[in-house]
Amino acid sequence: MEKNTFDAIVVGTGVSGGWAAKELTEKGLKTLVLDRGPMVKHGDYPTAMKAPWELPYADEPTQEDIARHPKHTRPSFYGITQSTKHWFVDDIDNPYEETKPFDWFRGYHVGGRSLMWGRQSYRFSEMDFEANGKEGVGVDWPIRYSDLAPWYDYVEHFIGVSGSTEHLAQLPDGQFLKPMELNCVEKDFKGKLDDKFKRKLIIGRTANLSEPLKHDKSPQRAQCQYRNLCMRGCPFGAYFSSNSSTLPAAEKTGNMTIVTNAIVYEVIYDNAKGKATGVRVLDAETGHQTEYFARVIFLNASTFGTTHILLNSVSSRFPNGFGNDSGEVGHNIMDHIFGNGARALVEGHEDRYYSGRRPNGFYIPRYRNVGADKRNYLRGFGYQGGASRSDWTRLVNTPAIGDELKQAAEKPGPWWVSMMGFGEMLPNHKNMVTLDRSKKDKYGLPVLNFDAVHRENETLMTKEMISDALEMFTAAGYRDVSSFTMQANVGAGIHEMGTARMGRDPKTSVLNAWNQMHACKNVFITDGSAMASSACQNPSLTYMALTARATSHAVEELKRGNI
Amino acid sequence: MNRREWLKCMSALAVGAVAGPSLLAVFDAHAASQKPDAAPRFFSPAQGSVIAAVSDIVIPHTDTPGALDAGVPLFIDQMFHDVYTKADQQRYLTALAAFDQAGGKPFLQLDEAQRKKLVTKLHNEAISTPPHTVIPPAADFVLMTKKLTMLGFFMSEPGCTQVLQYVAVPGGFKADIPLSEAGNGRAWAVETELKI
Repeated sequence: MEKNTFDAIVVGTGVSGGWAAKELTEKGLKTLVLDRGPMVKHGDYPTAMKAPWELPYADEPTQEDIARHPKHTRPSFYGITQSTKHWFVDDIDNPYEETKPFDWFRGYHVGGRSLMWGRQSYRFSEMDFEANGKEGVGVDWPIRYSDLAPWYDYVEHFIGVSGSTEHLAQLPDGQFLKPMELNCVEKDFKGKLDDKFKRKLIIGRTANLSEPLKHDKSPQRAQCQYRNLCMRGCPFGAYFSSNSSTLPAAEKTGNMTIVTNAIVYEVIYDNAKGKATGVRVLDAETGHQTEYFARVIFLNASTFGTTHILLNSVSSRFPNGFGNDSGEVGHNIMDHIFGNGARALVEGHEDRYYSGRRPNGFYIPRYRNVGADKRNYLRGFGYQGGASRSDWTRLVNTPAIGDELKQAAEKPGPWWVSMMGFGEMLPNHKNMVTLDRSKKDKYGLPVLNFDAVHRENETLMTKEMISDALEMFTAAGYRDVSSFTMQANVGAGIHEMGTARMGRDPKTSVLNAWNQMHACKNVFITDGSAMASSACQNPSLTYMALTARATSHAVEELKRGNI
Repeated sequence: MNRREWLKCMSALAVGAVAGPSLLAVFDAHAASQKPDAAPRFFSPAQGSVIAAVSDIVIPHTDTPGALDAGVPLFIDQMFHDVYTKADQQRYLTALAAFDQAGGKPFLQLDEAQRKKLVTKLHNEAISTPPHTVIPPAADFVLMTKKLTMLGFFMSEPGCTQVLQYVAVPGGFKADIPLSEAGNGRAWAVETELKI
């Protein structure tokens, strides 16, 4: 038991778990870090340097790949390729149930989805933290922007976020590395949006190093090489992942013990002490069961990973799941509305081009329900998009063949611009995930069952997301303007959140203003499950800031003897 | 439209965006690897010879390498063996059989000029078929083979580096430069695409 006892346990090594590991170890806590998958050391990215011709099957999934990944090869996802399929779980071995169709795309390995994430990094704003309370939706956030702002500063400084300063109330600026540039068509569109709509188009804010980091704590991280192969893992360490950034920092302290293939299936609760004392772990390879103990526990297993652990941890004190006095654990699932947008052909600019592959696009910050604008739905959406020249595939359905085809392919094609909306989804108690104890995975653990849908507010917003996109491209004078809608279920945005929400009242929320469990003060949850609302911004940066803030509080409380 | 097709729109691959038939789903920004010692597994030698002859007409060896130099026939064989569905396989085999009859005698018994003429005629027939109309099998074979040849070739090392241009590690990004200053001024083998 002695050797299994630590000051702190962190469950999960993704975006938020890596941050918890770094902060707790740097504050001197002997910390056990658990991940349910295998080790991935920084640099251990098998396809990272492959040229196009070194990948089999034109990088397409084979029929065998599709058979192993029936959910991960749904139309809303592109991760099952020869260059990236090893980062995503096998759906046969990792099943889930769907009362309503749900897209759950995940990777079980050290680093989690921080390895494959989209890297877009935006702060939530004051209006995001106020909206629930003002509108009577869900529960009011127990914090405001000013509570989190210094922690956004802190995490941005460490991870490096490239972006431009814009002075927008709905999208606060941060500690940016220099912005990447827009190309000629993106600049043209930006000018037209400003002229005709007074809307902003900015370069995406991305956790890629457009210049060296402004600190010397991550010598393993170099500047972006503009290969745009981030999802394979970056041997240059040029984008933020736990593997390239926070875990090396935690390791350097000498305070981290990392155990892989460690599936946490239960939090241990001590009735007499009124505290959690540790976690129960199943070895993914041997099935061997182990208990680990600590004074403080951080759950960062990803939104539904953490939810699974909570729902599976039942005791006389918590018959409905750990910390679930409110009955809200597993409820209020949110994602971002995903898969709707438009594209257009842009004539001219034929003598302009670019060099290098920018791992980033443009962003049109939310403008609906901002200031004087009032819609027939709540909240809003932003667009992410980009312009580029069309490649050789444009020639397939043309008469060109033979030498003529080769010569035509040598020239870059016409410019196209495309963008897709990311819309806020409201928290709703009815959007939920439960544990189905009648169905077990190969480890003998009960599986999750999803029951969540987009509702009226989301439907109204989606319509406008499409019509606005068409209107903007048309007003810009572009040709062949058309909209698109992907087949996408809730979850397709891969921004799942909300199932153990923060709030002021223990009767209606799971966590307090410090991401600390109302019902068990030495358990903290700082992954997406903590979110009380989704805003429309990509949420990972907020998880990082919440984690850094919560670890600081946890260590202070430990010192004070309160936990 | 699916996420993969949307990515293609980001990189302006209009073909993918308007595609119906599942074979068009092969158009993605990545490539074929050719093991030099690999042998065809899906097609018979006779079928393989027809495919090779057509791919050579689609992308011939000129002052730069062509489809045969890039190993395209083997690439097509691998795609049908491992990637395409049974329905896709059947569609292609049916089309191939129809094509082999289309010139009055087996394709390989035609002389070079007759082969080129037939392929060009069927290619024109395929691309002038109105959208949402079934392309007759022989013409369908030519268009499918054109697509697969282009995919295999433009993702191959000769295609990427001698017809298009490819830089493995650009090291920097210039967003807005004259075409003449973008490397050698040719199209990039891998267009920029935003992955979210």
